[in-house]
Amino acid sequence: MSARPAPVLRRDPAHRVLGGVCAGIARQVGVDPLVVRIAFVAAAFAGGLGFVLYAVAWVLIPADGEARAARVPRLAGRGAVEVALGVGLLVLALLLTFRALGLWLTDGVVWPVVLVAAGGALLWRESVGRPPQPEEPEPRPERPAAVVSRTGLGVALVIGAGVAFLGATNALSGARDVVLSVLVVALVLVIVFAPWILRLARSLAAERSERIRSEERAELAAHLHDSVLQTLALVQQRAGDPRAVAALARRQERELRAWLAQRPGTEATHLAAALEAAAVEVERDHGVPVEVVVVGDAELDERSRALAAAAREAMVNAAKFGGGSAVDVFAEVLDHEVQVYVRDRGPGFELAGVPEDRRGVRESILGRMARHGGRAAVHSAPGQGTEVELAVPR
Amino acid sequence: MPSRPELTSLVCGLLVALFGVVLLLDATGTLDLRFAALAPLACVLVGATLLASGLTRRG
Repeated sequence: MSARPAPVLRRDPAHRVLGGVCAGIARQVGVDPLVVRIAFVAAAFAGGLGFVLYAVAWVLIPADGEARAARVPRLAGRGAVEVALGVGLLVLALLLTFRALGLWLTDGVVWPVVLVAAGGALLWRESVGRPPQPEEPEPRPERPAAVVSRTGLGVALVIGAGVAFLGATNALSGARDVVLSVLVVALVLVIVFAPWILRLARSLAAERSERIRSEERAELAAHLHDSVLQTLALVQQRAGDPRAVAALARRQERELRAWLAQRPGTEATHLAAALEAAAVEVERDHGVPVEVVVVGDAELDERSRALAAAAREAMVNAAKFGGGSAVDVFAEVLDHEVQVYVRDRGPGFELAGVPEDRRGVRESILGRMARHGGRAAVHSAPGQGTEVELAVPR
Repeated sequence: MPSRPELTSLVCGLLVALFGVVLLLDATGTLDLRFAALAPLACVLVGATLLASGLTRRG
């Protein structure tokens, strides 16, 4: 899904009184144009600032329509800096003239307002960006340092304006000592604890990388166990049937190539289909009937894909060690989780008695479910069959 | 073919000339030039020159 383009401020000549600045701003922020007009008129009475702002906005904000927008020159690099400085100095000259003529509120109000306007404009430009113009080549991507420095300048201007306003109104006099104390304490703490914090951050990053690598290794091992090792075991079983061995080898080669190339292949897209496909494979490879009942269905995501893989491994184990009895698979898609039960009526086994080097139950079922935030349990006892319970949250 | 004047030089020259006229008026006593008036003039001079220079780089 493509993101909607950010709204762009434009003048609205269709509803203008003068240049459509107020109508454009009102449309952008979603208020009645009369509100914006009243604000400009009030600012105009306050030392003529409203006139200046309106004139600047009329010049800088493009009107609706492509013809007006196409005339906006594209500025970049040194040219943009010069234009910005030039406009800033001209506005400064205008403000100093007003100040000299007495059309002025107070320094404590006007200068913070100017700083806030400049900083806000910088931040607004960085957050909204410039709309793509027709017939313009694709702009070169900007260096992150340039974007950060402009954003930092905007933030500094706005903060400076706030501090200047508070200082001009003597609001900082009481808080100055407290702020100074806090700054000194913070500086001391940073100097003292910076090495430990830095080391801790590096350690956490290294640990996270190692955990990711470990999980990737476990996934790789589980996949190889479910595919290659099981096929090799089948090859040993059917060593007397060259055609069956060749067919197994071809199928395994196709599957392994598709997995290495990360091709989706003909994999099922829903849980019920995935379980059915796994049951068909197990029946074909091991000659044991597998009955699948699924209540509800869900599209496969990473978790339910792992669930289907673990269920397939449970089916394989039931077929191999269930003494030839039929395998029952029951799956239910609930609102909060997906559950799968794989049951056989074979001789059963003790999980603690499984050798450490056998990865089927420990890695392909229990480990896989744990890695994907699910749960798995094996209920079995000698002579009473085996039930594997699997669940992942939705 | 006569060469086209460069916008930056043109604006800068005009503004410097205007600045000279203002200083001349101040020297003759017609104007009373103080810092409050001189500062905006200096800003206009530098700002307009920069603006002209920047706009000539567009493209």
